[in-house]
Amino acid sequence: MNLRKTLAVSAALVMGAGLTACGGGSSGPSGGNSSGGAVAMTFWHNSTTGDGKAYWAATVADFEAANPGVKITIQAIQNEDMDGKLQTALNSGNAPSIFMARGGGKLSDVVKAGQAQEVKVDDATKTAVGDAAFSAFTVDGKVYGMPMSILPGGIYYSKDLFTKAGITGTPSTLADLEADVQKLKDAKIAPIALGAKDAWPAAHWYYFFALRACSQDTLNKATADKKFDDKCWTKAGDDLTAFSKTTPFSKGFLTTSAQQGAGSSAGLLANHQAAMELMGAWDPGVIASLTPDKKPLPDLGWFPFPTVSGGAGTAGAMMGGLDGFSCSKAAPPECSKFLNFAMQKKYQEGYAKAFQTLPASKDAQSVVTTPALVDVLAAYNKAPYVSLWLDTLYGQNVGNALNAGVVNLLAGQGNSAAIVKAVVDAAAKG
Amino acid sequence: MATITAPPLSPTTPRPISSRKRHGLGRVSWVTYVVAFALVGVCIGPVLYIIIGGFRTNAEITTDPAGFPSTWQFVNYAEVLKGSIFWREVANSVICGVFTTLGVVVLGVAASFVLARYSFSGRAAMYALFASGLMFPMTVAITPLYILIRGLGLTDNLAGIILPQIAFALPTTIIILVPFLRAIPKELEEAAAIDGASRLGFFFRMVIPLSVPGVVTVGILAFIASWNSYMLPLFILNNEGSYTLPLGVQAFASQYSVDTARVLAFTSLSMIPALVFFSFFEHRIISGLSGAVKG
Amino acid sequence: MSEGKLVVTSSPEGPSAAGNRARKAPFPARRAGRSHWQQRLEIALLAGPAIVMFITFVMFPVVLAAYYGFFKWKGYGPPTDFVGLQNYVTIFQDSTFQDALRHNAVIVVLSLLLQGPAAVLLALLLNQKMRGRSLVRVLIFVPYVVSEVIVGTGWGLMLQTNGAINGLLTKVGLSGWTVDWLSDPKIAIWSLMLIITWKYIGFAVILFLAGLQSIPEELFEAAAIDGASYWQTQRRITVPLLGPTIRIWAFLSMIGALQLFDLVYIIWGQYVAATAGTSTMATYMVVNGRNAANYGFGNAVAVVLFLISLVLALTYQRFVLRRDTEGALTEGGK
Repeated sequence: MNLRKTLAVSAALVMGAGLTACGGGSSGPSGGNSSGGAVAMTFWHNSTTGDGKAYWAATVADFEAANPGVKITIQAIQNEDMDGKLQTALNSGNAPSIFMARGGGKLSDVVKAGQAQEVKVDDATKTAVGDAAFSAFTVDGKVYGMPMSILPGGIYYSKDLFTKAGITGTPSTLADLEADVQKLKDAKIAPIALGAKDAWPAAHWYYFFALRACSQDTLNKATADKKFDDKCWTKAGDDLTAFSKTTPFSKGFLTTSAQQGAGSSAGLLANHQAAMELMGAWDPGVIASLTPDKKPLPDLGWFPFPTVSGGAGTAGAMMGGLDGFSCSKAAPPECSKFLNFAMQKKYQEGYAKAFQTLPASKDAQSVVTTPALVDVLAAYNKAPYVSLWLDTLYGQNVGNALNAGVVNLLAGQGNSAAIVKAVVDAAAKG
Repeated sequence: MATITAPPLSPTTPRPISSRKRHGLGRVSWVTYVVAFALVGVCIGPVLYIIIGGFRTNAEITTDPAGFPSTWQFVNYAEVLKGSIFWREVANSVICGVFTTLGVVVLGVAASFVLARYSFSGRAAMYALFASGLMFPMTVAITPLYILIRGLGLTDNLAGIILPQIAFALPTTIIILVPFLRAIPKELEEAAAIDGASRLGFFFRMVIPLSVPGVVTVGILAFIASWNSYMLPLFILNNEGSYTLPLGVQAFASQYSVDTARVLAFTSLSMIPALVFFSFFEHRIISGLSGAVKG
Repeated sequence: MSEGKLVVTSSPEGPSAAGNRARKAPFPARRAGRSHWQQRLEIALLAGPAIVMFITFVMFPVVLAAYYGFFKWKGYGPPTDFVGLQNYVTIFQDSTFQDALRHNAVIVVLSLLLQGPAAVLLALLLNQKMRGRSLVRVLIFVPYVVSEVIVGTGWGLMLQTNGAINGLLTKVGLSGWTVDWLSDPKIAIWSLMLIITWKYIGFAVILFLAGLQSIPEELFEAAAIDGASYWQTQRRITVPLLGPTIRIWAFLSMIGALQLFDLVYIIWGQYVAATAGTSTMATYMVVNGRNAANYGFGNAVAVVLFLISLVLALTYQRFVLRRDTEGALTEGGK
């Protein structure tokens, strides 16, 4: 009698444990499997709304039609969540087959951990894109990602608001910019929209001051040794401090996001509540999605980051990013096939139109008509060198700390030395 | 001066009257009602803001952040309810909640029974083991726990949420249930023994029915904790198909932040299951907590 | 509620007697004929699963954390870069961590100060037989039931520079009071305290109400007979007898404040919490650990957080709770 009860109790407990262990739930995305003819891949991109999302859905559908047996599951992830989620996915062995990558140190960290496979670029794509763009995605001589768009940075502005404040032309030196900021403040217009909540928009100001202050060699040297001991780094911080003391930024920038909603910095520009924003070439597309009628802002203009006196950077140098995609280690060969497919002229032109940005493929660049983007392209082609965004260049750990340090400086809680210290500390933590 | 009946209702001493009212001596002062009303207003106000915000348009919210809807828009709530995201996340949250609660109850009652009614040399140590769990919050354990769950291959799997949640709910459960089970009179156990029932028979036939109130309390607390949990799913669940509601709210809020009204609609709909559940069981929860404090 | 009475009256041997039995008589004398191994088997079966789950998912990870904390590790494959105590040195020298620790201390202290006295007063007030009393009790408990994510999302929207709170202030003519609730580092911590107080004061009031109800009415009647005024009664009788409840609530509040994560992470995000003055040790851990893929470092922070909580809890237990719950944690409760 006792034994039976004992067995009953143990059976109940085991069943209970078993039930909880099998407690439902979907399993994560697999890296991809090739069994017979059926190939399944997962695809993570960051266009959660509008034309961009539709573009990818259509392109994937075309690829599936051209390659029967291949099925691609798309997941659109908000830009700010992308890095963290990708990190976790790559760590846990549940990486998506095709994922967004921006090259630089971030990509090389992934490659060094053995989580990405080489992308087989076909010759047509190689000629169309050119070596410069691929260099950001090359690690140890092999290409680990396909660049889809080139995104040089500069200042986007509203021509109408400039006229309203009595500004003619665009500033070419820092002094000119400060004068224009004052004119805008006098006209009661917020001069510069800043989405510091996401940290990187604030950090971009520091990056550009560093671009002007530091030579190309110094920037590249820091990638390798992560030391940041050159004086130009503190000069950049001091320049930024002096500039921010003229209070050029929109109110409440600490909790303003960059791209999310009408209250974001892009939203401010889209609704004529601020006159300028320092951003990359994705901005026209983002602004277009936030205007009241969801159409591109008709008076959007662009000028390159002004020159700053006393720096070692070459005049005309630019900084920008590249958006591209990589294949995870477990992805099937169809991954490279898809990336080459999407680089064809037709699809790159579609990309440029959907995202209102500059495609990486030179063949498709003629389709760009947005005035601001035409200016960007001209400056880009003339630039002596183009650096990657510093946080991409230096990898996620150091990049995050760099961005946070700049936010501190802009909030008046740190100085240029503190930024350097934050970066060096971060290198020590990882 | 000393009086043997109620103190005089002096018009110059408004407050002292109130405390005597507990003994049924008259009306409660209006001050109490005002304070109670204000407190309830403050507590419920923000909740109402979220719910009502879902009935407005985005333009309204931008121009008049603190106002009422001019016309009640049902489209936001309708869109959320029609979409599959919300229901999928509700389903995931329900699965996690139900299985967590089951696990907590089964394991917790069994362990509490041992601690309450058996005497053995390791008992104090066992109790201290579980009580020390209060010192190991999810926040501390999450980073290595994620690595452990990943090693078990349970990332993106609801079991990776359920199993740790059961474990983390055990300390509170056992601390609440042990005094409960101990309070069952020895006479009952002796009577059962005289009637020939074993300790386990006593467990099944008498303890379980008698402990239902305590079990219900800990079950509800475990369910609510599971329903609201954010940090564990944040680390463990990556694929949005397996998201639970709190994670879903945050993802929805960042993805659709253009659409503030819809975000508010989604948020308030996520609140509703917890609130409904709570309203059914509030008496249990509150008395259970009170019992834990007293006992 | 009946459970309370059951504890007080029914058990013929008090809890301390049970404790004594555990020490003096490991074998239950009553169960003549019951074999020792059978009892052991029952104990193992009934308590075993719980113990296994608990050790696997709660204690073992913390031990793991201590192990990983000695490495620099990116999370891929096994850790190989042993750095000893380096991570801990970095933590304590990092001014960002010191800020987070300071914020936690402020949150702990302010939580106790803002919620404690207010909750006691409110409980005293609400402990009367007023109409709608149970409705009031339910409604003030609602913020506790709603998840921190929802609270953070809702309040985050309300406290925006152009959000509902500023909108309301402007509407009632107090536009001079509109500030950057979340952006201004001088104000953000107070906004956080506002939200925390809103969420948890109902819980405190309910706990105190329960404590009040266990004070025997005869004491108040006796005080009335002796002519004590309302405030004298509260000061001499009610509050002291409410002491154990207050001390337990303070303990729970303190531990919860040390672990604060969800609210800060949802409202301020991972990047600006430190600048806004609202970062906590938990957000520091996630930002510098998981988000930066510094898993060794993140684990070290977890261990530090654990040790700080443990020291505080044990100190509190020893010096404050001891007289309320003599040996509660070691002898299985009263």
